[in-house]
Amino acid sequence: MKCKRLLAGLTAFSMILSAGSCGNEQLVRSQNVQTEITLSWWGNDTRTEYTLAAVRKFEQLHPEIKVKCNYSEWSGYEARSRIRMISDTEADVMQINVSWLSEFSEDGTGYYDLSKVSDVLDLSNFSEDYLRYGVRNGILNAVPIAMNTETVYFNKTIFDKYGLSLPETWDDLFAAAEVMSADGIYPLSGVAKGLWLYSIAYAEQKTGKTFFTENGEPGFSQDDYRTMIDFYVDLVNKNVIPKTEDFKKISIASGAYAGTIAWVSDAVNYLGAAMDNGNEVIAVDYTAFDPADSGKGWYEKPATLYAMSKNTDHPKEAALLLDFMLNSKEWALLQGVEKGIPISHSALDYLEEAGMLTGLQYEASEVMANNLNLREMDPRLELTSVIDAFVDACDLVLYDKATADEAAAQFMAVCNESF
Amino acid sequence: MYKTEKARPTLRSVRKQLFLMTVGFVALIIAVVAIVTTLIFAKTDSLLKSKVISLTSSLNVQMKLNLDSYLSRMETVGTLAFGVKDAYTYDASDPDNDEYEALNTEKDITDELNKLCIMDNFVDYGIVYRNNRTVGKISNGTTNLLGEDMFDKLSAMITRQRTKDGWAAGYLGNFKRIYYVKRVHENALIVLSFYTSELEAVFDNPETLGDMDIRLVNSDYNILYSARKDETGERLNDDILSRVKGKASASVMDDYYLVTVNSCGDDWYVICSIPTEIILAENNEMRIFIIIIALIAALTAAGLGMFISAKLTSPVKRAVSLLDVKATTDQLTGILNKQSFNERTAGRLDPKLGSESHALILLDLDNFKGVNDTLGHVYGDKVLAKTGSILKSEFTTEDYLGRIGGDEFCVLVNSTPPEGQDYISYITERCEALKTAFTGLYTGDDSNYKISASIGVSLFPKDGTTFDELYVASDKALYRSKKAGKDTYMFYDRTKDSEVNG
Repeated sequence: MKCKRLLAGLTAFSMILSAGSCGNEQLVRSQNVQTEITLSWWGNDTRTEYTLAAVRKFEQLHPEIKVKCNYSEWSGYEARSRIRMISDTEADVMQINVSWLSEFSEDGTGYYDLSKVSDVLDLSNFSEDYLRYGVRNGILNAVPIAMNTETVYFNKTIFDKYGLSLPETWDDLFAAAEVMSADGIYPLSGVAKGLWLYSIAYAEQKTGKTFFTENGEPGFSQDDYRTMIDFYVDLVNKNVIPKTEDFKKISIASGAYAGTIAWVSDAVNYLGAAMDNGNEVIAVDYTAFDPADSGKGWYEKPATLYAMSKNTDHPKEAALLLDFMLNSKEWALLQGVEKGIPISHSALDYLEEAGMLTGLQYEASEVMANNLNLREMDPRLELTSVIDAFVDACDLVLYDKATADEAAAQFMAVCNESF
Repeated sequence: MYKTEKARPTLRSVRKQLFLMTVGFVALIIAVVAIVTTLIFAKTDSLLKSKVISLTSSLNVQMKLNLDSYLSRMETVGTLAFGVKDAYTYDASDPDNDEYEALNTEKDITDELNKLCIMDNFVDYGIVYRNNRTVGKISNGTTNLLGEDMFDKLSAMITRQRTKDGWAAGYLGNFKRIYYVKRVHENALIVLSFYTSELEAVFDNPETLGDMDIRLVNSDYNILYSARKDETGERLNDDILSRVKGKASASVMDDYYLVTVNSCGDDWYVICSIPTEIILAENNEMRIFIIIIALIAALTAAGLGMFISAKLTSPVKRAVSLLDVKATTDQLTGILNKQSFNERTAGRLDPKLGSESHALILLDLDNFKGVNDTLGHVYGDKVLAKTGSILKSEFTTEDYLGRIGGDEFCVLVNSTPPEGQDYISYITERCEALKTAFTGLYTGDDSNYKISASIGVSLFPKDGTTFDELYVASDKALYRSKKAGKDTYMFYDRTKDSEVNG
């Protein structure tokens, strides 16, 4: 009996000891494995900040997904994007320019076929009229975010100071320059692409031709190119604008520029500081010979589009992010109208509910939406090499290095090669 | 509790000693376990803190190396601009420049610079000239921030004279970008910048160290980077700052924080911190486990000790108990001896409790001397023992029974009559029963020697409120019984017994 008690006691004691010891057991601790996807975009500080914030929200909602971000301002971004695309190192989800669709996805296979992830990506928020901008060869390569066009913005406060009404015609602009130039103020300004498209609008209105014909052929002759060059040189020489190389955004805020040309999606980026300084800024109708023809020679396009890499290893995760960027309330409210008025019905509803459909970009979008003369932009109009060649040609004339005809001939050679 | 227990100091003392021994043993076990547990806690805390400090210090060093490596790479990319010949020979501020040639040179430089920085997330990568003209990639954000006199402001960011370069962040309270500036020539600076958020990859700490705050601060202890976005640009909070201020490389741990610091770059510091309570959270779980085990061990040891103690002390207890019984009990009759009876009775009778009823019955065997003289002490002892048995059978365990003289017995009746019966009647009944019990009592070889008893009864509190008063009263009543011919009982009667005595 005593032996049994002793045995029971020893057993209990050994159980206590064994409960407290882990001796030689192998300790295994597993880390949470996240699926890493990449996201790339270009844009200013504001866009970068809200995009990073929105990505963090996405990661909170999907802790199993890690989003690695790749971003910078526009300058140089296009070249980097080209290298990424060519070297198959592009991001899983990309903000792209509409012109890249034709450049990288001629047959529709350059980007992921988004219809394959329509179970995750809600495409019902987009009408076919808009989705077609992202379709190449019948394949949905990209989804547009908003529509965009180069728009003219004037600092009404400055014009009021000179007793001038806001220019509606080309002549109004030159007349304003005559008044303002005495004070070193330019009534208009712009970066190369804006002034390039501005010159096309002028030339199309003047010649009655289109830069590209309906079947996509170049529609301008050398004389027509010369018309563009002459117009740009006139703008510079008559102090309507500073040379594009001399353009400084800060001069808009300082009041040295009384107007500028900028995308709808860039309105606040360019003019926000001027408005913060107490100036009244107006998005006006598109400049024309006759105000009734406003919008003729002007083009609209998707502001930007979102696409997925054709090489993505994680299409579902990438589509989840894409859907969040296009259709979620969180993203919509953070993004606001920074990229323009969203095309996504749900995003638009969220903004409307939140009373966020206001401000200069919204007003510029309204100008765009109310103008029936705008035509769909051919992506080739945004070819950087052509735009640079145009500026070079203009500089030749500006610095008396060539005649306008010679410059037009040189430029036409570049166009013929590029188109 | 009867005061009579005071009458057994030896037993009480022994029991008390045993109790104290047991309590002392349990206390000793608990104390030993508590001391051992405390020592274990102290040791594990010490080890844990040492390991955590070591790990955190290593993490901090790794973060510093990451940052140094990142900044060094940025500097290298910046220095690559010196590979573009025009970049270090051209001077946009030279008034003798041919404007057209200058324009084209700037375009060429821009193209070359763009190629150098194309794959990095630079916000700026360009050259700023003394006349504030820029080539390359100079962002709108930077232009807005630095304004018209950009060159002078960027020049002020150069802090290292040997390499003519420097890092800066937080200009005018703007911590969005981190700038690197290097002098190209007297009238030109190369400037590159990246968003502070790029440092997320540099300071990305492992999931297991997710509670660790990693910050980069400048020499003014303003936060350049923190995973908590809202504190970027703020001054490092005093709790952390007070622990690392003025230290270039250190680890500090106290009851509230573990903080490590390492300097890097241009008087910048990487600071890792974590509240101590988070570090010790797991340790606390272990403590609870240890406490549970210690409690089980203590209870087991105490139980075992008490069991062994009980086993070891039970013979002593029995012996003491037996001695106690022997000390208080009359061995012949099995009822209380005189001293014990007197003590118990005196203790039970409390004059203040006048509402209680007691009766002191004094019983004296008639002609007992004759028994001893005639039949011998053996028969006498038998009669005494039988008398004890009669008393036990006729009274309850509540009543005190005692042999207070050779043939003199005393009973203090504590029991109460059944409901409906008055006390006198109840006592009378007891006396009658006693008398009857003696009626058939004979002793001797032929059982022909009649034994009887005379009984005197007094009542509390009527006849007295102390043992002595009652005893005197009962004795007088007994005397009257003897006088009346023995073998009877008498209640004390103040008038009659006064006459008797008188």
